[in-house]
Amino acid sequence: LSCVSSSSWLPQAGPSRGSHWQTSLLAARASLPARAQPKKKKKVDVKKEQAQKDRMKKKIRKLEKAAPEMIPIEDFITPLKYSESNRVRNLPPLSFEETERRVLLMKKWCLFKQNQDKAEKAAIQALVEAQQEALKELRLESEELYQAAIRRDEGLFPFERDGPDYTPPLPGYDPPEGKCVDITKVYTQ
Amino acid sequence: TAAAPRPWKLFGAMCLLRLPRITQPLEKEEEEMAALMEQIELEKSQYSDHEIRKLEEEEKLKRRKESMYDDDEVLGKTVIMAQDLEEKWEQKLLQFKPAPRITDADKNNNRTSLDRKLDRNLMLLVKQKISNQELWLLPQVEWQPGETLRSTAERAMAMFLGDHVQAKILGNAPYGIYKYKFPRAIRTEDNVGAKVFFFKAFLQSDDLSQAELKKDYLWVTKDELGDYLKSEYLKKVNRFLLD
Repeated sequence: LSCVSSSSWLPQAGPSRGSHWQTSLLAARASLPARAQPKKKKKVDVKKEQAQKDRMKKKIRKLEKAAPEMIPIEDFITPLKYSESNRVRNLPPLSFEETERRVLLMKKWCLFKQNQDKAEKAAIQALVEAQQEALKELRLESEELYQAAIRRDEGLFPFERDGPDYTPPLPGYDPPEGKCVDITKVYTQ
Repeated sequence: TAAAPRPWKLFGAMCLLRLPRITQPLEKEEEEMAALMEQIELEKSQYSDHEIRKLEEEEKLKRRKESMYDDDEVLGKTVIMAQDLEEKWEQKLLQFKPAPRITDADKNNNRTSLDRKLDRNLMLLVKQKISNQELWLLPQVEWQPGETLRSTAERAMAMFLGDHVQAKILGNAPYGIYKYKFPRAIRTEDNVGAKVFFFKAFLQSDDLSQAELKKDYLWVTKDELGDYLKSEYLKKVNRFLLD
């Protein structure tokens, strides 16, 4: 485009080269220094900036393509200071009676828990049976009430409740003040 | 030929439960097992920082006693031993007095208070007049056409405890039923008997001072129900109560 425009100003004196428009460009640059220089700087800067941006974009794309680093699970890494030998407890070995007692206690516990579980399941079964009977009687009475009873209760879940503690709350208890500083490490991928 | 439907009167009753506030005492096997678990945990564990500090300080004390070090080293800095820290913590624990698990209401056997038997469920019983008889029952009220049975039960609760009771009703379905026929004197073709449907609810707020308790009421555990309820009624109620 520019070569076409400058070809009209063919200089009189100038080395004749193969590409005549190149010489005309050079001459144009030399002949109009005042006007061309600020333009040159802007163009070159713009080109340089564009090249820089492209390089940055390429780098970003490369980083994104790379697989994300795994977040370390801190619970699974034992800190080295706990594998020192002076940490090992020295206790006397267990006697035969002690091991026997332990084994027998475990067996008793197994039985205890089994009975507890059976009792719980039986209780739940009894509850369900009572409810089924009640619903059957209700159905005999009126279908409309039965349908209303069967409908799901939306407000029931999520159901939250604080469990029982060891002692009841002390009225007028003033807990000691303190500050809790959270030092958990947060990892981002 | 199909029998004509025998009309029964419908009642909705509410079983309001105050859930336990403290844990129940452990059984013997549970206590033994807990002790065993602690022992095993101790055996499998390693020394903690505090214990290592304690051991080192004991060693230093012993060495100092045996070999008579210069006391300048020790007097220069005020050292707090791990043992002193432990004693300080013990003292602090002894100063704290938690609320008693067995309350005054337990000792006086005050059955109208909610502070009794904090480790068990408490149920509300009210005295109601049913056909010229004053009976202890779970609060019940007759069903009116146009409302579901659940709202009948809510109305029963509101009638005896006022509108400000916060209770979480567990679902739309009844938990149990008590069916009885009227005595022959009152029984007619259209009015054979009554069916009482029970609903369960958990009491959310412990503070019932706002509630206007109108008539005689009691908060009792499952075992004490037998003192107040009639046997047939009690049988049906026990079916849907867990302890």
